[in-house]
Amino acid sequence: MSREALYESLSAVMDDEADELELHRVLAAGRDDAEFRATWARYQLARAAMHKELLEPRLDIAASVSAALSMEDTPKVKIENTPKARRFSWGMIGRIAVAASVTVAVLAGVRLYNQSERAGAEMAQQSTQPSLPIPQAHGTPVLAGYTEGAEQPQASSPSEAEQDANWHEKRLPAYIRQHAQQSTVNGTESTLPYARSSSLENR
Amino acid sequence: MRFFSLLLLGGSLVMPAHAADAQNWLSRLLKAERQQSFQGVFVYERNGSFSTHAIWHLIGQNGGMRERLLKLDGSPAEMLRVDGRLRCVSSTSADQLIEEGAWPPRPLDPQELTNWYELRMVGESRVAGRTAVVLAILPRDQYRYGFELHLDRETALPLKSLLLNEKGQLLERFQFTQLDTSTTLAKERLEPGPACRPVKVLSAEGAEQDSWRSEWLPPGFTLRSVHAQPSPISGETLTYLMYGDGLARFSVFIEPLRGVPVEDARSQVGPTVAVSKRMATADGDMMITVIGEIPLGTAERIALSMRAAGEKAD
Repeated sequence: MSREALYESLSAVMDDEADELELHRVLAAGRDDAEFRATWARYQLARAAMHKELLEPRLDIAASVSAALSMEDTPKVKIENTPKARRFSWGMIGRIAVAASVTVAVLAGVRLYNQSERAGAEMAQQSTQPSLPIPQAHGTPVLAGYTEGAEQPQASSPSEAEQDANWHEKRLPAYIRQHAQQSTVNGTESTLPYARSSSLENR
Repeated sequence: MRFFSLLLLGGSLVMPAHAADAQNWLSRLLKAERQQSFQGVFVYERNGSFSTHAIWHLIGQNGGMRERLLKLDGSPAEMLRVDGRLRCVSSTSADQLIEEGAWPPRPLDPQELTNWYELRMVGESRVAGRTAVVLAILPRDQYRYGFELHLDRETALPLKSLLLNEKGQLLERFQFTQLDTSTTLAKERLEPGPACRPVKVLSAEGAEQDSWRSEWLPPGFTLRSVHAQPSPISGETLTYLMYGDGLARFSVFIEPLRGVPVEDARSQVGPTVAVSKRMATADGDMMITVIGEIPLGTAERIALSMRAAGEKAD
């Protein structure tokens, strides 16, 4: 399939106008093609900006998407015995759920590049204290503070990944703190490094 | 690299008047912090964190400096510095700091800074009820971030400092909400509370200065110190290097893995990135972690360029 057609399908998916086949093509490309994934992420950002949506995949959204996905099999079974009109609506729900879950996954990947655009909203919402890298189920820590629900496609075997996460999780806070504090000692100006370092304290 | 410096040198000969003005303001700022007593309240904001702090900064009659900082929200974190030395710090964890000793702090040189940053006056503003001049410090390459400084017109103290990435997006904000430069400071305000404990200072000895080196550094960054310290986690010898370009800083931590399967990692806390890369050496695998207020790409490249003594580039 041509690149152009693929991007057209992507637009359709994002507008919830894609058919089943298109959706699967886009999902497959999103899984295998990094460049395509990046484009998707950009589309997503642009669309969010146009719609003034907050890019905020909170835990509850991820959870509700997972719930929707796990329900997906049930309606498919039902399709055989249900009338046409109902089949259509069930199909739509399943499709939207899949598309939404992919969106969440993409957003998780986009965070690193997107953090500052969202900074304003994020800062305004944040009433709690800062947090250090949170234990990751799948290894590589992403952005501290936004790690919930982040997907790590490159995760290796669970036991290894677990060990990996622990290793970094134990050391990074100490490293970062030493970096910040040492800057207050060796730096000419001290206030900024001090503020950075104290923003790492308690949660 | 050399060509680059020559080019910049040529550029600086025809430096426009406003750039000289900007340099002048930067010099005034450096002097102000050594000569001006003040007290005030500032906010610090980064992605995921917002906090308020009080500061008391006293310049004694003999020119000695005493500075106390107190976090006003959450736990009352505190820090006391006397003549540029950290006296005590209240912290939730047992911290260790390295005595500068053999590696004295290098004062910021505005002239040298212009090799790596373009200084530009960009207007006026008002911060904490005071008139300020706005100084942009723009990186000349993509390896570091830029600053926007709002300096008090009267005293040249920094009223506001913004860290900006290559897209001009805000990474952190430091901003006074109230500043008093005229009232005499009450002595007791400069006394630390009981939670402020002396830091454990590690001796600066023990590191072979050429045990590790970087094959690549962004222009202007130089090694500021090298230390060996026991890792607070594993007890293994942790090699710790600090680099700076006068404004931006990053640290490199090198810890032996002893066969533990650990993957590479990246993370970001506000303006600070952390990049960890596994590296095979003659002494077994090492994890190299670069931490600093630098772009992710710069940290990646530095991590990849670290070499143990006696090892050649690939």
